[in-house]
Amino acid sequence: MRDMADNGSPIILELQNITKRFGDLMAVNNISYALARGKLVTFVGPSGCGKTTLLRIVSGFIEPDEGRVILDGEDITRIRPNARDTAMVFQNYALFPHMTVARNIGFGLQMMKKPKNEVKNEVERLLDLVQLSGLGERKPHELSGGQQQRVALARALSLHPKILLLDEPLSNLDANLRVMMRTEIRKLQRRLDLSIIFVTHDQEEAMSISDLLVVMDQGVVKQVGSPTEVYEQPVDDFVANFVGHINFFPGEVTAFGREELILKIDQVDLKVQRPAFEVAPGDRLKAVVRPESIDIVDAQTSTGADQNVMEGQIEVAMYIGSVMRYTITAGDQTVYVDESDPQYQGIFQEGKAVKLILKKRIHLLKVQEA
Amino acid sequence: MRGFFRNRYLQNSADDIRHFMRNPGLMAVTAVLLVLILIFIVYPIGSVLIKSFSVSYPTVTLRYETSVAASADVDRLVTHPLLGVLKNLQGLESARATGKSGSFAIHLRFQRDWDDLKGLNDTKRSISAIQGQVDPHVRKFTYRLGKESVNSIASYRDFFSNSYYYRALRNSIVLALVSTALVTFFAFCFAYLGLKGPDFLKGALRVMGLIPLIAPPFIFALALILIGGRMGIFTKLLHLPFNIYGWPGVITAQVITFLPLGYLMIENVLRSLGTNLEDAASDMRASDVDILFKITIPLAAPGILKAGLLVFLMSIADFGNPMLIGGGVSFLATDAYFLWMSENNLEMAAVFCVFLVLPSMIMFMIHEYILKGRVYTTIGGKPQQSEKRRMSPKIFYPMLAIVTPLSIMIVLCFGMIFIGAFTKILMVDNSFTLEHFQSSNGFYSLVTSLKFAFSAALIAPIIGVTLSYILVRKRIPFKRILEFTALLGFAVPGTVMGVGYIIAFNAPPLKLTGTFIIMIINEAFRNLSVSLEAGSSKLHQIDVAIEEAAVDMGAGAFATFSQVVLPLISSALVAGFVYTFMVGMIAVSAVIFLITPGNNLASLYILAVAEEGFLGMACAISIMLIVVVAASLGTLKVISKYTKTEVF
Repeated sequence: MRDMADNGSPIILELQNITKRFGDLMAVNNISYALARGKLVTFVGPSGCGKTTLLRIVSGFIEPDEGRVILDGEDITRIRPNARDTAMVFQNYALFPHMTVARNIGFGLQMMKKPKNEVKNEVERLLDLVQLSGLGERKPHELSGGQQQRVALARALSLHPKILLLDEPLSNLDANLRVMMRTEIRKLQRRLDLSIIFVTHDQEEAMSISDLLVVMDQGVVKQVGSPTEVYEQPVDDFVANFVGHINFFPGEVTAFGREELILKIDQVDLKVQRPAFEVAPGDRLKAVVRPESIDIVDAQTSTGADQNVMEGQIEVAMYIGSVMRYTITAGDQTVYVDESDPQYQGIFQEGKAVKLILKKRIHLLKVQEA
Repeated sequence: MRGFFRNRYLQNSADDIRHFMRNPGLMAVTAVLLVLILIFIVYPIGSVLIKSFSVSYPTVTLRYETSVAASADVDRLVTHPLLGVLKNLQGLESARATGKSGSFAIHLRFQRDWDDLKGLNDTKRSISAIQGQVDPHVRKFTYRLGKESVNSIASYRDFFSNSYYYRALRNSIVLALVSTALVTFFAFCFAYLGLKGPDFLKGALRVMGLIPLIAPPFIFALALILIGGRMGIFTKLLHLPFNIYGWPGVITAQVITFLPLGYLMIENVLRSLGTNLEDAASDMRASDVDILFKITIPLAAPGILKAGLLVFLMSIADFGNPMLIGGGVSFLATDAYFLWMSENNLEMAAVFCVFLVLPSMIMFMIHEYILKGRVYTTIGGKPQQSEKRRMSPKIFYPMLAIVTPLSIMIVLCFGMIFIGAFTKILMVDNSFTLEHFQSSNGFYSLVTSLKFAFSAALIAPIIGVTLSYILVRKRIPFKRILEFTALLGFAVPGTVMGVGYIIAFNAPPLKLTGTFIIMIINEAFRNLSVSLEAGSSKLHQIDVAIEEAAVDMGAGAFATFSQVVLPLISSALVAGFVYTFMVGMIAVSAVIFLITPGNNLASLYILAVAEEGFLGMACAISIMLIVVVAASLGTLKVISKYTKTEVF
């Protein structure tokens, strides 16, 4: 276990019981985690969740109050940033404005007292790698945001770090560029077999780029898992909410068999697969359903069984292009439903009576006591 | 392309003018401000320039009334014989006869440095030789001494041909360069250590940076005289064969005097750089020494240079330090004063002023056109929470070694002022005394200073802040020019504004020299720019939409200004008041040209008694001055607390 991460790859970085306080604020609260080599892991969470603090503890800019940071078997907790085998891409790139692009990229090698020739060749190679050949003599402010981002990446890569740290690297780019760059980072990571920690507050970005998500809130890790796991099987309300739109249906277990159970919500019975945890009749559970997992049909449509069907009325119908987002009142409950390809499916007008069919992908959570 | 630009510029100006003309209220206010600035800033400075291009000759005018009717007869009988004898006068440059119908005159112009009384006596003596010949035709002779001003570059020629003059220019520039280099070097070390070094240093450095703001600017020269002057403690105790007067004294005094300014500016620069780039460099394996020399210093360079420019300007304009501790070394700012005071040579004083302004203007241009926009600050992104890194010993100890001796010197200087104030005559009679505090002239000058500083502090913010509102928010033509002229009073050394006021306001219609009011006006207009800056920076913080909302609610321009803008920028008014008051209390360089007996200011009185050797009294009044300023500021702070106005 010491040398192998959960999925069997060798471990590159291990965080052991890391705790950091800023005054009264518990920025990072006893976090332990082991990262596998060659993976892109994303620390994701709302601002103030401690993800950046954790990253800066890895890079050495912040010293933890407690705990140890172990990089490739070596304890680096007390080692200064300039002696660590890590490299960081800063949120605002932190390019040295008084140096050319080439000097920026070569700075780390120059600091390591590499021969001039070697630095020059390596800089050329890196410029080529991030598709900036020929721009070496420009100053950072003469580059676009996306190009600056590439320079920052090349600069970090120049050190061949054991782990590459990306601190919200895409947050200063516009939406289209952001999508493009994250694809590129992902490609680069695969090609060079890089171990990367990526920090972002953007759940979509996190899901799309990562091998593994580490969802954080208020200094603790809430859930670790693949994007699919985190999205489909969130461990609690926070994670469920954070990684996308969600409907919660609280109810009571009325019956259960070996595979399935019946959860009674309002007047409707929901037939759901049994969860991994123990349940007994009378337990209060919460059905967690993504808006795109609910079908919506005309109230007149015959749906056969009553199970997993709710009746309601369209409150708001919002056309977002790729999807139609409905806000529906069903009894006491407000339900959000996304229908993809609305032009093909047909659009329901506001005020229309509809039936909601909850068949697919229902995830169960225990009701958290307040 | 160039034509296109010019057209667009003209187009804009034309639009501005049209817009401006449609707004009579704005026009009236702007016009009043413009007239004030023209009269009290541009006109005096212009007068200096004109004066420097003129020379004056001593003249003797001889008038006579005659009973001879025909002009031709007068010429034959009186004028020609007179000219005949007068043309041989010693030192005469030209003789010119004028006159008509009964009243005639001969104007005699003597050489520039000719003694006019000798000229007069020589004239009388020459005429007495032909007295008998002309007397029958002349009813009465009257003589009059005068001066005749002629446009000429003779003063400049004199300046460069006389080593006594041009050496002052060379000395001033050398002094400014040396002081600037030392101040920026030390200030950088202080700021760097204060920002990145251990916390306990920070508070001490702050105090050191702020105290000199309320102390008279030559207090360190005073202290240095007590330490290393002819009768100084060190000189006496160690039997030193030399003293600190001259170059070492002036440079040391200036370095200590301007260190706080440099420190505050450079600290600001370093702070605004943030730690992001240093972190990045550290992440790239750079050592602390590498970071300092390859990242921090290059990045801070434009800001450091900017601080250096300001120190240069302050140093070249400095009056008190060279005056007190300059020894026999001549400097522009003080020699301009001596030229006026002891030789009444305003032309040469004006030339000195021009050479005082030139370096300042060159520096100002460098600042405006080369450095502007080259200051690096952290761009975008929120400042990252980062722990203060332990300073590398390789940096900490050398810096500490640089900073410590100077800090000791500063503390020593303050200590000496206290010791000097309570000692009879230091190193002669070292007994304790309070007598230095019992100077009625000292008290009187303190009261005058209070009146003076308070009045100036009422005028400057009102004009400055109003001007800032017009400059920031209103569309007026030739905005840049108005702004530039308003700032000129501050940019130009005080000596220049002093000489300028003497030249400009010594004759009707604005004969104001010798009055208390002209001193106040001078001080107010010299410090306009601080209120102007305070106003603009405040206005830039306030969203225009707030004013637009007021207009939208039906408020007129005046109501918007008085009910919405004014309350919001009142803190700028107060800041302008506080600043003008403080510098007014310790003003030296311009007002020294304008004081009259009975209107002596405390800071000038200190300078005067110190020069006469009453160092104890100078120390005592300095302490009282510092106490009065500190107490005034304290009172203001209390008032602001009760009225809930933001002041500091």
